[in-house]
Amino acid sequence: MNNIIELKGIGKSFDGSEYIVRDFNLTIKPGEFVTLLGPSGCGKTTTLRMIAGFETPTEGSIFLDGKDISRIPPYMRPVNTVFQRYALFSHLNVYDNIAFGLKLKKMPKRDITEKVRRVLEVVDMEGFEKRRISTLSGGQQQRIAIARAIVNEPEILLLDEPLGALDLKMRKEMQLELKSMHERLGITFIYVTHDQEEALTMSDKVVVMANGLIQQTGTPEEIYNEPNNAFVADFIGKSNIFNGEMTGYKEVSFCGASFEELDDIPLHTEVDVVVRPEDVILVPYDEGAIKGEVTAVTFKGIHYEITIESGKNEIVVQRTKSASVGDKVGIIIEPDGIHCMEREISVNCFDGVITRKNRVAFADGEFECECAEEGKNVKVYIRFNDIRMSDDEDAGGVCGNINSLIYKGDHYNYTIKTKNGYEYILNDEYLWNENDYVSLIIPKEAIRIELLQEEA
Amino acid sequence: MRTYFQRRYLGIPYVLFMAFFVIAPVIVILYYAFTNGEGQFTIMNLVGFFTSGNTIGTLLYSMWIAFIVTALCLLIAYPAACVLTLSHIKRKNAILLLLITPMWINFTLRITALKEVLTLIEGNMALYPFINTVIGMTYDFLPFMILPLYNTISKIDADLPEVAKDLGATDRQVLSKIILPLSMPGIISGVTMVFLPAMTNYVILDMLYNSTYIMGSLIGSYFAAYDWHNGSMISIVLLIIIFVITLITDRFSADDEDRKGRNLL
Repeated sequence: MNNIIELKGIGKSFDGSEYIVRDFNLTIKPGEFVTLLGPSGCGKTTTLRMIAGFETPTEGSIFLDGKDISRIPPYMRPVNTVFQRYALFSHLNVYDNIAFGLKLKKMPKRDITEKVRRVLEVVDMEGFEKRRISTLSGGQQQRIAIARAIVNEPEILLLDEPLGALDLKMRKEMQLELKSMHERLGITFIYVTHDQEEALTMSDKVVVMANGLIQQTGTPEEIYNEPNNAFVADFIGKSNIFNGEMTGYKEVSFCGASFEELDDIPLHTEVDVVVRPEDVILVPYDEGAIKGEVTAVTFKGIHYEITIESGKNEIVVQRTKSASVGDKVGIIIEPDGIHCMEREISVNCFDGVITRKNRVAFADGEFECECAEEGKNVKVYIRFNDIRMSDDEDAGGVCGNINSLIYKGDHYNYTIKTKNGYEYILNDEYLWNENDYVSLIIPKEAIRIELLQEEA
Repeated sequence: MRTYFQRRYLGIPYVLFMAFFVIAPVIVILYYAFTNGEGQFTIMNLVGFFTSGNTIGTLLYSMWIAFIVTALCLLIAYPAACVLTLSHIKRKNAILLLLITPMWINFTLRITALKEVLTLIEGNMALYPFINTVIGMTYDFLPFMILPLYNTISKIDADLPEVAKDLGATDRQVLSKIILPLSMPGIISGVTMVFLPAMTNYVILDMLYNSTYIMGSLIGSYFAAYDWHNGSMISIVLLIIIFVITLITDRFSADDEDRKGRNLL
């Protein structure tokens, strides 16, 4: 089947330097329910707004049924949007709100009346035509907002966190209704949310985004069971993420023990190991591959969440049987419970220049180094463990905000973004807050410099 | 013994204020309107109002001027308010401040300055009474039109124009079907705040050495001649006209949701 919509190499920047969305490629088949999932500020809403036509892509093109629509205005696109805050027209009643788009199309009045009646049935609000918007509850307003969009019979319905303003119970109900509405109408849905559970429940295809980049595209099962990287694993569901190393064929070592696993990755590769809490099996102390002590037990309704400390590592377990704090326990993990991911980057790498003797400038910062060739362009490498953070702005060679952090069992993995968008990745034992403004200290021994070959 | 403080006691100062400065003066005006020079009850003042061609003519002329001034204010203020609220231009607050600042400058100074400017352009101001009246009043009342419009339009949900475009509306249709109806309360309150003063504020005209004669001038001249009875009667009739206009505009937008603010006038 042909794709209904195709996004090719989409990039969006508002100020010409920092990109909100980068290198975004996605194809959607007619009738699919696709969810863009990611934390706030990851670019998912901007992507949706480009499809709706409220923003123009800085790079790339959007194709609808094979036609480039990147630059045509919103009112000419066969696409309708349901907004997060309903945005109903308060000066019109329910009927006039829903009929708004149809009246603009100069449809005969009798047809409009009939269509409005039918769409009110679809959203389960029969007989509400004459009601004023201010008399409706939040849930009812959202139904009207959905009705107002689908009555135009768009080829694609865009939903921008449409359930975000509803309470939990209402949200669950509406999730199921939206899902069944999607099945009945056969319209393509593109849904934006930061709620991973919502994404997994409703979608045919999930697109996980972070920092303007697609991290992974796949079915909900793929995303959950085989995350591409540590970010996806951390964002979708609860998971234990450890640093590991391949020590044999389909054998990985982490937390001081070796485990069999299922992914074929070259020997000695450094990997991120993801273990879902429900895949950790507790056994008597002596039988465990990893041995540890229970430090916390929390009752979660259908299961207990048990935290175990083993050496410097923390492991979270979910199971239906409780345990007591202080219990000595052993841990084993079945091969299919271990998911290994090759690291995308294992070292920071920047282009730099030697400004004067023993000073190198790169990525918004300037540091002491051991290199004498003044004025030369160089490549700079720094390992994650060699960067320290400080509150004191003058202590380090560069300052930035903590952009993301991921807990890795015995340390946190941080990404620091500088003012011009350079990203430093580092490991730190202690917990810092997201968005903290920190300065980065790099000892000169830790900066590895490679002179670039001068072109003749 | 305990004393019970009731919240309604807080209203006492306002009740007293209203009694002294609103109700009492109206009673005094009513008294003068329906008495003659000897203090006897009469309706001759009322009859005089409607039989004197001079009074009726002035009334109609005042309404005509007020209409022109209001329309002009609306024409200037509405696009300005739209630009200030809906566009993405920088320094919006500074521009709004510039439009509002004339209100903070002393009235006498403002009109004197305008007089000098007009003299510079026109030479002899007395030759253009009508146009000077309109310019003076528009200049003076413009902030009263801009402020309510700015307030209402800036409260319109920023998503609504986008929703309308999403549903197929062009920019022009967004303006006529969304922005205009939703800013109706602001338009009504702006119109009331400009139209009524424009009928009566003759001080501007006096200061511009203007021969234009409006309702305010008429009342002023009666009082200047110590004819408090006819002056009061004209005031009463104006009061009733204002009341009727307010009622009509109120009914006109009775099904409007946001009734606050407009009820202030």
